[in-house]
Amino acid sequence: MTMDHAPAAASNGERRWNPVTSEVVRALHRAVGRERVLSTPEELLAYEYDATIERGTPQAVVFPESTEQVSAAVAVAHRFGVPVTPRGAGTGLSGGAIAAVGGVVIALTRMKRIIEVDRVNRIAVVEPGVVNLDLSRAVAPFGLYYAPDPSSQRACTIGGNVAENAGGPHCLAYGATTNHVLGLELVLADGEVVHVGGRTRDVPGYDLTGAFVGSEGTLAIATKVTVRLSRIPESTRTLLAVFDSVDDASNAVSAIIAAGILPAALEMMDRHIIAAVEPVINAGFPLDADAVLLIEVDGLEEATTEDAAMIRGICDAQRAREVRLAVESADRERLWAGRKTSISALGRLYPNYYVLDGVVPRPRLPEVLRDVYRIAETHGLAVANVFHAGDGNLHPNLLFDERVPGATDRVLAAGAEIMRRCVDAGGSITGEHGVGLEKRDFIGWIFDDIDLAVMGKLKAAFKADGRYNPCKAFPTTRGCGELTDRVVARHAPALGTDIYV
Amino acid sequence: MSSTTAPAAIDEFRAAVSLRAPGVVFQDRGERVAVDECLPDVTCAPSIESDVSAILSEASACGLSVVPYAAGAHMGGANVPREYDVAMLMTRLDRIVAHEPADMTVTLEAGVPITALNATLAAHNQFLPLDPPAADRATVGGVIAANAHGPLRHRYGTVRDWLLGVRVVHADGSISKAGGRVVKNVTGYEMTKLYCGSFGTLGVVTEATLKLAPAPPVRVTVAAQFDTASAAGLYAMAAHDAGLAIDAAELLSPPATYALFGEPRWCVLARAAGGPGAIERTLRELRAYAGAMRGALRECDEATWAAWARALEPGVLALRASVLPSRVAETVEVLDRRFAGAAALLSATVSAGLIRANLDPTRGIRGGTLYESARDVVARRGGTVAIDAAPASLKRQYDVFGAERADIAIMRRIKQEFDPRGTLSRGRFAGRI
Repeated sequence: MTMDHAPAAASNGERRWNPVTSEVVRALHRAVGRERVLSTPEELLAYEYDATIERGTPQAVVFPESTEQVSAAVAVAHRFGVPVTPRGAGTGLSGGAIAAVGGVVIALTRMKRIIEVDRVNRIAVVEPGVVNLDLSRAVAPFGLYYAPDPSSQRACTIGGNVAENAGGPHCLAYGATTNHVLGLELVLADGEVVHVGGRTRDVPGYDLTGAFVGSEGTLAIATKVTVRLSRIPESTRTLLAVFDSVDDASNAVSAIIAAGILPAALEMMDRHIIAAVEPVINAGFPLDADAVLLIEVDGLEEATTEDAAMIRGICDAQRAREVRLAVESADRERLWAGRKTSISALGRLYPNYYVLDGVVPRPRLPEVLRDVYRIAETHGLAVANVFHAGDGNLHPNLLFDERVPGATDRVLAAGAEIMRRCVDAGGSITGEHGVGLEKRDFIGWIFDDIDLAVMGKLKAAFKADGRYNPCKAFPTTRGCGELTDRVVARHAPALGTDIYV
Repeated sequence: MSSTTAPAAIDEFRAAVSLRAPGVVFQDRGERVAVDECLPDVTCAPSIESDVSAILSEASACGLSVVPYAAGAHMGGANVPREYDVAMLMTRLDRIVAHEPADMTVTLEAGVPITALNATLAAHNQFLPLDPPAADRATVGGVIAANAHGPLRHRYGTVRDWLLGVRVVHADGSISKAGGRVVKNVTGYEMTKLYCGSFGTLGVVTEATLKLAPAPPVRVTVAAQFDTASAAGLYAMAAHDAGLAIDAAELLSPPATYALFGEPRWCVLARAAGGPGAIERTLRELRAYAGAMRGALRECDEATWAAWARALEPGVLALRASVLPSRVAETVEVLDRRFAGAAALLSATVSAGLIRANLDPTRGIRGGTLYESARDVVARRGGTVAIDAAPASLKRQYDVFGAERADIAIMRRIKQEFDPRGTLSRGRFAGRI
């Protein structure tokens, strides 16, 4: 996967990207300082991957420390027609930070200042490299926290969260990243710095902040983010409900939602996850259970008492073998440690795992989940499920060993089939990880050419062409397919043509 | 205003639409769809999406300007149309397409009124938590276009937080969709956000899928009256900071309190909503906070909110200010002083930093003077003022969206990309886009 094939212009005359020449590197040195640019092959290796199985080696990595430096580096890339890929902590699960066609990676990890915290108005202004959990820790003394909590929150950055519109278990009650961003400072593809949104809730004009969040680094680079903080609730109760069948657990999820209870989080883990997690974390998940639900309610003491009692009753009625209640924070944290480390714990049991991120309407959860197990079995794969059951957001983990010939291919085939099943059920191919590199060939199952063309208009309005985080979020275009050694594209057409959702 | 358009173009448009979309009902110009004192040359009422598409593509081909119109509840919140050839009445698109009670989502056509929807949902103990002052008439499409909201914003935010997916007809008649029908989804750009508050300048939403909220089991409304704005503000902030089970809390100026209760005092009208235990605790604490601020608290019935809606529905001149929550009480106090003599009804959602003002400029002070005064008071406190309703003459003088910001260039390019011929709501957006 080298840049040698990169065409300066596609044969149809459409402008493409140029390689990073020594002249470009010298210009980057002048723009941001030599010490902030990596360009030797051995230095670049560390920046060729994220948390997916995708790889792509950049030709230069820039570490700006200010908006001005981001703008200067981006302007250099613009002048030379070089692709730009923004990068945070590299914990993404859709290949969003992969330099798919080489070019310049703008690594924002050194921009990690919390610029301001306004306790009374519950606002913080942060740089994009601030780690999600660090922000919550910094504002905890004020009784506040930053609500979106992706499982990678100890490492992932706010900038990356904004790019992917990251979620997390507590999305169910509190919404995803988009519900917590008020304003942004952006560097456009030509280096122009623009402010959108603001500190107050209502800013006249189109909601550019809302349109930007989740644009996967294809519209601009956020260099400052104004976020809403939330008040730490006075009471939190976490229930662990143990089930002897996945179906019963799924039915309990539907019953809780249907009863008009909106828990702060409602998570499911199946027996494979329990087997991976429990020996390491000792969270107290019974090894012989088929599934456990982790259910959290928060708010006023009186409200959590009432809700927890109702949830217990519902779980009992849905044949829960046991329901445990954790009130003390140490007990609750142990349960959550089991949830948040579950995917990485799989790494102990299997050399590789492939995380999917499908969404289905909540009433369809039991049947789709059954099909997930069936599809994996058909492909001769083990699958472990840990997911945000409360909002129908599945995370099947396909377990495999990439050294076994053909294994990766089977995983991608099974993954595509599961994605298709979610779409057929009226759902989506991604709930919180982003389309990225991985799923761009599936997007046609959901959006037709007109839908995508409308999104392209937004891109044009931001002056972003295919040079800004190329090959992401949109279907494969020429220049992407031949540069990445990908198998997914072969599976998409086999499963069906565009359907209307 | 629209008489510059040649009658021939209108006739051509009518003929073409009749041919392509025989179901479209035409009406002659009428007061019913007046926008800023402008009347259209023709009104057409589609009842299905393909009719909307035919109307827009033919209007675009004939170079006409179309303004989508539903209940007309929020038409004042955008600029005066530069041309107004065709009114497209959206109220016949009024079907609820699919309600999924177990998924807590609903898909419906844009012309469904919010209260009609909520009446249907009530049987399932669910509701769409949007209560703009004109909720009895306001349609889902209008609320999306105008980003309209009411007191429930305190707990439930705005329509952008509930909108999961849309179908949109664009200026050239093409039809696109964005988002989806599931409650969590990051496939594709968040185009839904762009349409919220776009006042029909980028496309016409024909169908929307929205998330629903469970209806709280118990609701109790209480009004606490105070001698000063700051006491009322402290009470509202204390309730907010304590995380009490409140779904609405409006700080009212003395004239607004007078309109509701016949007493010219500062007031916070709040509604406790939740389970019995949470309600009991919330009311107990509210009583204690009110006492600490020398206020008097009393229970009111739910109908008080209907009275609030009548009082705050944008009238002759209505403004909406956005400031930081910490500046609300003081800003409201200054505005109340400045507006003395203009029968100003002020109501603020403190936690959202939102201040609504309903003014009567006929009482001696020029509307322009009132607007400029409000704009300057709010700007000095780091906020912005938008116009929700005003006489056309005033709106021609002042952009209702306020001063242009640096990001107007992106907005202009968005409009150019979406509607290069200016078919949709020409001149009505920020910067008279």
